[in-house]
Amino acid sequence: MKKYTLTIVSAVSIAATLLWLFGLGWTLQDQFTANEKFQKQKEKTESATSKKEDGNLTIFALGDSLTRGTGDADGKGYVGYLSERLKKKSEQDITLFNTAIKGETSRGLLKQLRQSEIQRQVKQADVIMMTIGGNDLFQQGKVLESLDKNAINGKKQIYLRNIKNIYKQLRELNQDAVIYHVGLYNPFSNLQDAKTTSSIVRDWNFQTAETAAQFNNIVYVPTFDLFQLQVENYLYSDQFHLNTEGYKLIAERVASLVHFEQEEKNDE
Amino acid sequence: MINLVRNEMLKLLRKKRLYVIILIIAFLVPLFTYAQFKEIQEQREKMGNQDWRTVLQQEITDTQNRLSSSRIQDEWRKYLKIRLSQQQYYLENDIDPRAPGAPTFMRIFVENSIDLLLPLLVMVIVADLVSSEASGGTIKLLLTRPVKRWRILLSKYIAMLMSVSFIVLSVAVLSYVISGLVFGYGGWNMPLLTGFAVSGDELLTDRVHIVPQWQYILMEFGLVWYVSVIVGTLTFMLSVLLRSTAAVMGIMLASLIAGAILVNMVSSWESAKYFFMVNLNLTNYVSGMATPIEGMSLGFSMAVLAVWGLAGFIIAFVTFSKRDIY
Repeated sequence: MKKYTLTIVSAVSIAATLLWLFGLGWTLQDQFTANEKFQKQKEKTESATSKKEDGNLTIFALGDSLTRGTGDADGKGYVGYLSERLKKKSEQDITLFNTAIKGETSRGLLKQLRQSEIQRQVKQADVIMMTIGGNDLFQQGKVLESLDKNAINGKKQIYLRNIKNIYKQLRELNQDAVIYHVGLYNPFSNLQDAKTTSSIVRDWNFQTAETAAQFNNIVYVPTFDLFQLQVENYLYSDQFHLNTEGYKLIAERVASLVHFEQEEKNDE
Repeated sequence: MINLVRNEMLKLLRKKRLYVIILIIAFLVPLFTYAQFKEIQEQREKMGNQDWRTVLQQEITDTQNRLSSSRIQDEWRKYLKIRLSQQQYYLENDIDPRAPGAPTFMRIFVENSIDLLLPLLVMVIVADLVSSEASGGTIKLLLTRPVKRWRILLSKYIAMLMSVSFIVLSVAVLSYVISGLVFGYGGWNMPLLTGFAVSGDELLTDRVHIVPQWQYILMEFGLVWYVSVIVGTLTFMLSVLLRSTAAVMGIMLASLIAGAILVNMVSSWESAKYFFMVNLNLTNYVSGMATPIEGMSLGFSMAVLAVWGLAGFIIAFVTFSKRDIY
C-alpha cells in the first residue's frame, strides 16, 4: 500500500512538473515574442444588441456631478429620488443606469457617448436624464472671479456646439425615449454679483433650451427658479452642489413630468 | 540517484505534510468559492439580472468618479487608471473577464495566492527538509553512506521540486473540482486578453492578443510554479544553513509578509525592485495590472527571481558539501 502511494505521488509529481514547465515555456513564448494583433470582433454577441424588456421602465442617466448626486448625504442624487418616486407612482420595476461622472464637461460627455456600451444602454432606455454644462460654465467657481463677457461667450459657443451634438447623438441612438435635460441653477445667487451671475446662467439656460427645442422630445427642465430664493438652504457644504433637500426638489419637478409620459404610454 | 530521490519522497510522505497541505487547500477553496458566490449573488440583487456589460460599465463609471476626486493618492490613482483602461478595453472587445465558471475561479484564485498563500504552503513542506535531519541527528546516518554529499542534497532538492509541482497541481485540481460544484465546470474556451504593457499610468495595448482561458490558466500556473520553485529554493537554502526548522520558517515567513507589505509602499524606493519578495506577483504581468515599482516587467521580475534562486541553490550546495558535521 505504502509503496503504491509513493509510486503514484512520484509519478503524478513528475507529470505535473512537466506540465508546469510547459506552461512556463508557453508563457515566455507568448509574452516575449511578437504576437500578431488580434482582429477586433466585428460581430457582437447576441445579448450585446439592444433588447428592451417590457413591463420595466429603464432610466438612463448621464452627465456631471449633479446627476451623480454629489452632495447628497445618501448619494442618490435627483435620479435616485426620482426613480423611487416613479416606482411608487407607476408600480413598475425601474432599472436605473447612472453613468454620470463628477466634473464632466460637455466635451467629456460627447466622448463618453462614443463608447459602445454607453450607446447600447442609451438604446435600451425608456427615459433619459441628464445634466451637463455646469462644469463648462463654472469650472469649480473660476468664472466668478472673472466675469469677463468675452470669455464666457467663447465658452458658451463651444458648449452649445457640443450640446447640439450630444442631443443629435442621443436621438440617433434612441428615437423614442424622452430626454430630460435638467437645467442649471445659480449657486451664487446669494452672493454679491448675483445679478451678473444670474443673468449669465439665465442666458446659458435659455440658449440650451433653444437648442433642445430643435429636437423632438427633449424637455429642458428649468431649476433656476427652484433655487432662486434662499439657495443657501439647498446647497451642500461646498457651496456649489446641492444637498439632499435640493435634489429632492429637482426629483419632484422631474417626476411630475415623467409620470405624464408614462400614463400616456400605458394607455396605448 | 533514483533510489535516493525515492528515499526522500518516502520521508516526505511519511511526514504526512503533503496531506496537510491538501487539507488546507481543500478547506480554503470552499471558503473562497462561497465568498465569490456571495459576491455574484449580491451583484445580481443590486443590479437586477443584468448583462455583465452593464455591470462592468457601472464599475467603470464608479471608477471614473473616484478618479475625478482630487483627494486620491497617486499610487491608487495609477492603479485605478490602468484597471479602468483595461476594463474599457475588455468592454470594447465584448469579452467578459469574469464570466463565472470553475476555470475563472481557478484563475482568480491562483492570481491571488501567488504572492503569499502558495509560497507559504511550499515553505511548510520545504522548511525542514534538511534542518530536521540536522536537528534530529539523522544527518550523520545519511552522510555515512558511500554517496557524495552533493548527491544527497540534490536528491533532496529534486524531492522538493516534485513536491512543489504536486502542491501546485493539487491547487489546480481542488480549486477546479470544488468550485465547479457551484459555478459549473465549463468555460475553458472563453477568450481572454493578455499582453498589456504598463508605462507610467498608461496602459499600452498594442501587443494585446486573445488567448483561450485554458491556455491562460496553463500559463499562469507555469508562473505560479516558477515562483513556488524559487521560494522553495530559498527556503531550502535556509534549511541547509540553519539547524532550527522554526528559524527557517520564521525568516521565510517574515520576508514573504514583508514582501506583501512592501509591494504597497515601495513605489518611490526604486532599488527595492531587486528584492525577491516584491517580484512574486508574476501573474499580474500576464493580466496587465499596475506594477508596484516603475520599470518592472515580466522579464525583469523573472530574472530577479532567477538570480535569487540560483544564488540560493549555490549557497546551499557549497555550504552543505563543506560543512563539518558533528
